[in-house]
Amino acid sequence: MAPKTVQLEIKRQASPDAPAVWEKFELEWRPGMNVISAMMEIATNPVTADGQATTPITYDSNCLEEICGSCAMRINGKARMACSSLVENLEQPIRIEPLSKFPLVRDLQVDRSVLFENLMRVKAWVPVDGTYDLGSGPRVFPQEQEANYPLSNCISCTCCMEVCPQFNEDTGFVGAATIAQVKLFNNHPTGKVFKEDRLRALAGDGGVQECGFAQNCVEVCPKQIPLTNAISDVSRDVTIQKVKDFLRG
Amino acid sequence: MATVQHPSTPSLRPGVQPLRAGQGTSFLWRKLHSLLGIVPIGAFLVEHLLSNFEALKGAAAYGTQVRFLNSLPLVRGLEWAFIFLPILYHGVYGVYIWLRGKSNIVYYPWTGNWMYLAQRYTGLIAIVYIGYHVATQRFLGVSLPENPAYAFAKVHNELTNPLILAFYVIAMIAVCWHFAYGIWLFAAKWGITPGATARVRFGYACLVLGIVLAGIGLTSIYAFVGPGSAAQAAAVQLH
Repeated sequence: MAPKTVQLEIKRQASPDAPAVWEKFELEWRPGMNVISAMMEIATNPVTADGQATTPITYDSNCLEEICGSCAMRINGKARMACSSLVENLEQPIRIEPLSKFPLVRDLQVDRSVLFENLMRVKAWVPVDGTYDLGSGPRVFPQEQEANYPLSNCISCTCCMEVCPQFNEDTGFVGAATIAQVKLFNNHPTGKVFKEDRLRALAGDGGVQECGFAQNCVEVCPKQIPLTNAISDVSRDVTIQKVKDFLRG
Repeated sequence: MATVQHPSTPSLRPGVQPLRAGQGTSFLWRKLHSLLGIVPIGAFLVEHLLSNFEALKGAAAYGTQVRFLNSLPLVRGLEWAFIFLPILYHGVYGVYIWLRGKSNIVYYPWTGNWMYLAQRYTGLIAIVYIGYHVATQRFLGVSLPENPAYAFAKVHNELTNPLILAFYVIAMIAVCWHFAYGIWLFAAKWGITPGATARVRFGYACLVLGIVLAGIGLTSIYAFVGPGSAAQAAAVQLH
């Protein structure tokens, strides 16, 4: 009996300006195989299905357990984490493409630094740096922890931005992940010192108002973060902040 | 002198640009677009559908309703301030929103994504229809503000053309859909329904509202074209 095989079609691009080409690979099937482990196998023997020598595929990945957020790519058309995409659950040939909304670096690797830029612009941190010991922070009750924990699960994979019809170069929309982090840090007893700054930032061009509530973000999120709930809550807070600023101005 | 940039210096990179934190006025314009869809446009839609329902009582009752509306103080000012200008803004800005979004329904055929797309197409049908409807019923032909009694006949004559009748029926459903889902979107995007369960429940409420409004609207259309409508229209025309 011939060994069971796995067919992959991978979109490759040697550089940001190089033409994109599809390469086909055929690998021996192994139990528990995922898309990253398949590409690791290709790297050990980089030969296409029709016997042509090629280069190992470039992609971002790290933890291999859906916690680092590195290996987001489009698999059979949908954005998802490659490490948790088990080959046996995927239709073959498995078509693998880079995320489409971010500048391409090479093959499946894209530059997702816009998310980190956005997180900086909304001050998505708890300001505790200083020259002296600030002492212990305020107590966070378990009920608050329960509410905030899901938001803290964000792995910055950018899947929510990739699938969002509003996240594109025309709108410059900030995306669901950043909005959810604003809710997280505004809920934090120390982080909320920046609450007004964050809300004002999100009322800027490309802010929370650009959301069209297509809800793809919450469907695709590998960490099941309640993104649409966060957008709704933050959107209300931003509006209230703008009204307050207008009346106090 | 060193030319090394400070690490925080923003550099222009390709792709989607980061948030312009706190800059620009798009928040105001987008929220205005959203609010106008509920008041006054949505409120006017409900009034208009209820007023048209008077047509079921016959041409005279319908004429009386038209006369009443046209007797409101400053009615021409109200018309422009609360109907024409808000709809014009909502339509133009809505198309602008549509053009800047990039639908990906092919890859992500999910309910919310379909509704996102449907909101754009129903909006487009609404703009085309309202433009035609206002031009033909308000500004062209017999002037109804001056001849309210002729209102039934004017609508009846227009709807005798089956193509126009079909256009009215499609537009009625599209407008009610757009309004019903628009209320749902408003509640979601203004933080009135931040919970997933609340949004599902409110979705059913909006669905019922949309069906009721479309039912009222389609019944009114029937009143203008159904049995006896020709005689009623002819009776009015004799005056």
